Amino acid sequence: MIDKRLMRLPGIKQLLTMLAGLTVLQAFVILLQATFLSRALVNSWEQKSLNTIILPTTLFFVVFLIRHLTTLIKRRYLHVHAQKIADDLRSSLLDKIYTTGPKMIGKRGTGNLVTTALDGMDEAENYINLVLEKMMNMSIIPPVLLVYVYFQDIKSGIILTILVPLIILFMIILGYAAQDKADRQYAQYTVLSNHFLDSLRGLPTLKMLGLSKRYTKNIYKVSEDYRKSTISTLRVAILSTFALDWITTLSIAILAVFLGLGLINGNITLYPALISLILAPEYFLPLRDFSNDYHATLDGKNAMNNLLNILEVPDNEDNNELPAISWEISSTVKVQNLNFNYDDTQPDADLHDVNFELSGFNKIGVIGESGSGKTTLINLLGGFLNSSSGQNITVNNHQIPNFAQKNWQKLFSYIPQKPYLFSGTIKDNIVFYKPEASLEEINSAVATANLTSFIDSLPNGLDTVVGEGGRGISGGQAQRIMIARAVLDNSRKIILLDEPTAHLDIETEYELKKTFNQAFKDHLVVFATHRLHWINEMDYVLVMKDGAIVEQGTPDDLTASNGYYVQLINQMRGENL
Amino acid sequence: MIKNDTWVKPYLKKYKPLLRMIFILGTLTVFCGGALMFTSGYTIDKSATRPYNILLIYVPVLLTRAFGIGRPVFRYLERLRSHNWVLKVTSDLRTRLYKTLEKDASYFNEEHKSGEILGLLAEDINHIQNLFLRTVFPAIIGYIVVILVSLGIGFFNIWFGLLILLLLVVETVLVPLVSVAVESARKAHQKQIKAQLYTELTDNILGANDWIIANRQADFKNLTNDNIHQLNVSKIQSMSFTQSRDFLLNVVFGIMIVTLLIFTNLYFTGNQEQANWVAAFALGLLPLSDSLIPVSQGFEEWPEYKDSIQRLNGIQTVDQQLPAQTTIDLDKTDIKIDNVSFNYSSESKELITDFSQVIPNGNKLAIIGPSGSGKTTILQLLMGDLQAIKGKITINDVDVLQLQDQRTELFSVLNQDPFLFNTSVMNNIRLGNEHATEEQVKEAIQRVGMKETIEKLPQKYDTLVEESGQRFSGGEKQRLSLARILLQDTPIVLLDEPTVGLDPITENKLLETLFDVLSDKTIIWVTHHLHSINHADKVIFLSDSQIEMQGNPVELYKTNKHFQELYKMDQGK
Repeated sequence: MIDKRLMRLPGIKQLLTMLAGLTVLQAFVILLQATFLSRALVNSWEQKSLNTIILPTTLFFVVFLIRHLTTLIKRRYLHVHAQKIADDLRSSLLDKIYTTGPKMIGKRGTGNLVTTALDGMDEAENYINLVLEKMMNMSIIPPVLLVYVYFQDIKSGIILTILVPLIILFMIILGYAAQDKADRQYAQYTVLSNHFLDSLRGLPTLKMLGLSKRYTKNIYKVSEDYRKSTISTLRVAILSTFALDWITTLSIAILAVFLGLGLINGNITLYPALISLILAPEYFLPLRDFSNDYHATLDGKNAMNNLLNILEVPDNEDNNELPAISWEISSTVKVQNLNFNYDDTQPDADLHDVNFELSGFNKIGVIGESGSGKTTLINLLGGFLNSSSGQNITVNNHQIPNFAQKNWQKLFSYIPQKPYLFSGTIKDNIVFYKPEASLEEINSAVATANLTSFIDSLPNGLDTVVGEGGRGISGGQAQRIMIARAVLDNSRKIILLDEPTAHLDIETEYELKKTFNQAFKDHLVVFATHRLHWINEMDYVLVMKDGAIVEQGTPDDLTASNGYYVQLINQMRGENL
Repeated sequence: MIKNDTWVKPYLKKYKPLLRMIFILGTLTVFCGGALMFTSGYTIDKSATRPYNILLIYVPVLLTRAFGIGRPVFRYLERLRSHNWVLKVTSDLRTRLYKTLEKDASYFNEEHKSGEILGLLAEDINHIQNLFLRTVFPAIIGYIVVILVSLGIGFFNIWFGLLILLLLVVETVLVPLVSVAVESARKAHQKQIKAQLYTELTDNILGANDWIIANRQADFKNLTNDNIHQLNVSKIQSMSFTQSRDFLLNVVFGIMIVTLLIFTNLYFTGNQEQANWVAAFALGLLPLSDSLIPVSQGFEEWPEYKDSIQRLNGIQTVDQQLPAQTTIDLDKTDIKIDNVSFNYSSESKELITDFSQVIPNGNKLAIIGPSGSGKTTILQLLMGDLQAIKGKITINDVDVLQLQDQRTELFSVLNQDPFLFNTSVMNNIRLGNEHATEEQVKEAIQRVGMKETIEKLPQKYDTLVEESGQRFSGGEKQRLSLARILLQDTPIVLLDEPTVGLDPITENKLLETLFDVLSDKTIIWVTHHLHSINHADKVIFLSDSQIEMQGNPVELYKTNKHFQELYKMDQGK
């Protein structure tokens, strides 16, 4: 029910102490409430006048208020602290995303992480609220009430004591067995309930095939199947609640009978008997609450687990091994014996025995079939992925363990296939690497990227909002913004590109090519692509196949040697006109 | 609340016997809960008078047990029945939503961001389920209980009855309404902040690489701070309000108990037999709060459901006005597009202007242009999904709008992301022609080059394609859809950028197969570069709603310098 890791969160101990204090207070107030109520009722039963019940009734009302006021204070306190805990967790999560980088993002998926940070956090917060309150209530209120009932009437105390293990036993037998079955069927539900969305998405296809009208029947049928299976599961799943309810109400009935017999025999008087009877439902209440909201609690627990698992992923360390350097015409990077595996349990490495050298302001092309490791190589070079051990990397004769070096990442800009424009102005997006850039510098970068006329055509110019919710921007313009971003920061003399034009139409690509070539001047370029024309612009080409570099050299040398490179190019080119 | 609602209210008249049963069971649950305490109270009060004969308390003891068993049983049955009713209504709602959307193709064009809106609509139906289970049912049962309790006490004394009724109305009507009024705006505000947070956070995470190399960890983290803080403050306000409201509800409930204590003291102390009922009244009232407080809580959730109900009610389908339908001979189909212009509405920019084209039977036409240049629009116009604002599209001189009854025999489509249903390969392909034999399906799969791949799988043709076809790669999905098209066997095939996202080798092979198996069809092929353009008889370059250049690719290569440059670039020469 409760994760040990939850108990280790900062601030939780203090929170628990405070909660415990308030819950004890609550338990005593419940006692007093029953006592005063019983007193009033006994006086009425003895047919005494209204005057005699004014004091107990007033006292009853006062403690009744105090009881609910305590609940109010307790819940507020709990909420504020749960929110604080959730906030700290979210903050750690963002740090973790930043420090572990794309490897985790790739593994978990962006959507999943966003959901974890928002909805997941709400669920986790809700879980903290629910589970702490329920736990406290269950472990404090019933024992306190029970002790008091023993003082009032030993027999009632015994009845209430005996029933608890019975309830727990029932809960185990019925509840958990049923819940287990429900959980297993939960997966099947999802399939059935997704069927509807699947059908809606496929509606255009069905329409195209002329089947959409007839398919209506299927929608109804599957939905009805879903209903039947849900009901049959529910029948079992809510048995545990039923059992608990049943034992509780029956216990009260039994208690009433025993008290009645005791009264008839004169073993007990009305006042303590009433107290016991009034306290009985209060005694069972925390138990019943505990089993409520099962699914909310379960979802919260899973969300919490998911979150804590992410936070346990180790950070990238050793990323300060490279001193601050700048990239010059004489600079070099040497890579020897680079290996990488996405999934450590797989025997075949995704990238193996990779050796190459980058220097000065050369243009290096990386080509290969899809899945040959081009993107992996670019991601390793950018330090977005961390290579396994055994490699030998030197940058300007400084040996570094991997490319995730802060000072290395200050040297390059990165242009992926689908650049992500942040929601913000075009200007914000351009000055991303260099927020302090002057307007003059920005305009010059805009000119290099051939964006001037486009920006002038916008009513708000550089201040036009782009990205989600902003003005839609075409793929070609987005790439130009990326180019402006890259050339704006003069200290970044390396550009890493991963298929920047693959998804663009040929005319846009044609226009963009000139701009790219201009931006490439005085830069080291590493360019992964399967668009053949880029290869002609390169000084040197790495040819990849199955995670290894199988050939490397200048395009001319590679053509002359008539090996895999030539074969690959011909395959990619297809038939001629 | 919502005027002219057709998605919630009318359904409260459906499956009436079941619905009635739910309310009866719900009321009985509350009744038994109260009655259990009531009879228990009577039992011990009566016992305390020490009757000589134990049989005198026999009836109340028996009743105590009956109510003790009755409460959980009725509750159990009520929960099952109410889920059953809600799910029955869900089936109806889903069918209705499907039918509504089926009528209107416009819900699926790019303007609507179809994926998103469909997800929302499907989710809305789930919200309606919760509306019934968490708001409507508890409220109705709550009101029945209010009436019964007030009547019960009013039976003994009308003024006390009225007082209790007043207090109950405060609990179940006044407080809930105020609570909705207060919380509605706040909840809407929270929803809005949350949507912004989603955008910001997605930005952050999708762009994580950029933040890392820009070395801006603090900015990365702080981007969302403002909104998170705002949301937290607002949530605390909501929570404070809810807690205070619950406290108020309890205070009113406390007043009710006190009222009852006074009432019983005044009216039930005439003789001992009367006084034996005193504890019964007070104890019987205690469990009632269990069914009164949820009424308010249910109301509070209303703002969450409101949007869903509004969205569903807001679905407006445009009924296409079609001319009288006719059919044509499918052996030979000549397409003529005559001076066609199109825009979505008179305010928006024209996507197509004065577009003309003759596509004789069996011709292969390629259309190239940047995104937003109206390529896909031409395909939609051709099929009659959209109607031109000017000009006419005919097949064998018959307007395509007159051929809508025949459209599935005329056209088949292969697009960027072909849809495969979460069922077996065999079933998916057979959708192309439901009368196809197993042999014909297998033959189609073999022709598109998927025979080996499929037969290598452990379950072969019965393999499930999984959600949106995940089981297969992009190229394989295209091939499977192509097999479906082969079975559909229409004279005209429309290709809407089927190779986007595929690597060039896969692309070459797919296009090779495609043009091979479809050699006798008329093909209109929207593409974004010149790969395999040799398969086309004619290529059109669209730009800004106009034709920029057109002709046979071989001819163009000889005569047009720009085309030559583009082609050379594409070939990497």
